[in-house]
Amino acid sequence: MKRALLITLNEIRLFIQDKGDLAFGILLPIVTFALMYGAFGGQTLFTATARVVDEDKGAYSTILINQLDQVQGISIENLTLQEANSKLERSDLTLVLYIPAGFSDTLASGGKAELTFMQRGNGGQDGQILASIIRGVAERMNQQFQVAYQVSNQVTNNLGNNVVSQGRIKAVVAEMLNEENKQPTVAVTEEVTGGSPDFVNQYVPGIVTMYVLFSLTLSARAIVEERKRGTLERLLTTRLSPGELFFGKFLASIGRGFLQTVILMSLAYAVFQVFTPLSFLASIFVILIFAAAASAVGMIIASVARTEDAATWIGVVFTMLMTMLGGTFFAVTKGSVLEIIGRFSLNTYANDAIRTVINSGGSLSGTGRAFIVMGGVIVVGLVVSRLIFRAVPGGK
Amino acid sequence: MIAKDLHKSFGDFKAVNGVSFSINKGEIFGLLGPNGAGKTTTIRMLSTVLAPDSGQIIIGGHSMKSEAEAIRSIIGVCPQDLALYEDLSAIDNMIFFGRMAGLNSQDARTQAMANLKLMGLEERAKGKVAKFSGGMKRRINLAIALMGNPQLLFLDEPTVGIDPQSRNNIYENILGLQKKGMTVLYTTHYMEEADRICQRVAIMDGGKIIAMDTPYQLKSQLGSPDKVTLEDVFLKLTGRSLRD
Repeated sequence: MKRALLITLNEIRLFIQDKGDLAFGILLPIVTFALMYGAFGGQTLFTATARVVDEDKGAYSTILINQLDQVQGISIENLTLQEANSKLERSDLTLVLYIPAGFSDTLASGGKAELTFMQRGNGGQDGQILASIIRGVAERMNQQFQVAYQVSNQVTNNLGNNVVSQGRIKAVVAEMLNEENKQPTVAVTEEVTGGSPDFVNQYVPGIVTMYVLFSLTLSARAIVEERKRGTLERLLTTRLSPGELFFGKFLASIGRGFLQTVILMSLAYAVFQVFTPLSFLASIFVILIFAAAASAVGMIIASVARTEDAATWIGVVFTMLMTMLGGTFFAVTKGSVLEIIGRFSLNTYANDAIRTVINSGGSLSGTGRAFIVMGGVIVVGLVVSRLIFRAVPGGK
Repeated sequence: MIAKDLHKSFGDFKAVNGVSFSINKGEIFGLLGPNGAGKTTTIRMLSTVLAPDSGQIIIGGHSMKSEAEAIRSIIGVCPQDLALYEDLSAIDNMIFFGRMAGLNSQDARTQAMANLKLMGLEERAKGKVAKFSGGMKRRINLAIALMGNPQLLFLDEPTVGIDPQSRNNIYENILGLQKKGMTVLYTTHYMEEADRICQRVAIMDGGKIIAMDTPYQLKSQLGSPDKVTLEDVFLKLTGRSLRD
């Protein structure tokens, strides 16, 4: 055991001595974090361009367009009807707001005016959001007309005609509605805590476990590098047993993968506020066990690979397969074929365990199956890798 | 050291085919042969890296089959290719392999410094091996094999590709170690080197030992030992055709 630890310490020393490797090892989690932050961090503002065909060109259509333009993230592009039809035909656009001629006159005369959404299919996701925003603006205009109409009627009924001019009534109503908009009776404020729940539940565990799997490739190369350097045979002529060599390499691989992942998780903890202190510690424990399982698989690859390229490619292919099957980049539907295949992926169990830990605020209950699977992989990986290892290709 | 009827095959290829020889305590024994003769495979078996398909190996009274670990505790191996951690310093390499040979931290450091001094490298102890010349790396390669004070030293072409000064330094050190009682199994392609330092030599070809005696006796078989070289004997026995 002492010699296995010496192997581990030597690996760590070599890692530190190789400045390029060290910089890569520390920078990679920081860069990964920066990418995650750029992709998922904080709140996301919906931005879109509302395409409008204004055949009315009256006062109220102008008010509607101006109000739309004032919505944060929305810009306006005016089109002719011909342009709109042409672009919809070519699928250049999915949704256009059509304001018919006479829209303003109808409203001015107290009639009911209509707006039309010209859309391709269901308008697409952005189109539906945009349509919802337009409906909100139109609804607010509608409320303003309703209030102005009712106030006008009340004043006329109570005071008679021409006591207060219609213009004065409209101006006072508009002023009051503006005040109401600025200081609504029921105000809604937003308090932001961390990133979006989709990101926390779906992507954080997947990205973290995918990251741990990078250590699999490193451990896969451990024995090949030693063989290439010529030190493998020399080590095996000392008192060091192959079992101690493998265990030492295994521990070094866990340490390296674990350290890098803890850097990544700490940044996620500090900036995304994904974890509570307890769920952070519990997640780190899950990661430690998962790193051990990944390293054990890496040791099997290390035993069979004859060249660094072979070790790297087997490691990369295995990592990508496990990552995809583990549902890192997309949600896996329960009962689907993918879910059944995904049971063969180590990531599935690690992801489930981390999701459980995050959602429960740090409790490990419900993670038993994941730990049993990962523990089994550790034992099997170490035993198999030792059994199939040959110091000299073709030898015993 | 006794090797008896060693056999080793890789698939259909018989790398070692019935090799038997013994080395006396304190002897420098040369194992010569063209490329592919089976020298390295023989050393790999003797140094416990490869298990023979059949045959018996006894080193220091320990049988390879049942006491491989005991054998590893009394042997030192200087492989043909450099086996060093180039990113580490010379002293760190020495200490690491010393610890692997069973020394404690203090003894490993003391022996490392002594061996570096022996090789004329004590002033470069903290230098990174990657920055060493070829000759210095060869000397470090040999110095590492001495960590743990082995009783039997395997030297697989320890002087390949180095200048005459470094080669001479290695010769002198090997002869010095022999005087202290160390047993050496030495392989080389330099025949004058084997003639100079080996008490006995075995010439291998095709996985078999085809001749084994003192350099003097082998040369005597061809003519006057003063006029015949060991290389003449080698070429006479193994032929002049290229092997690789």
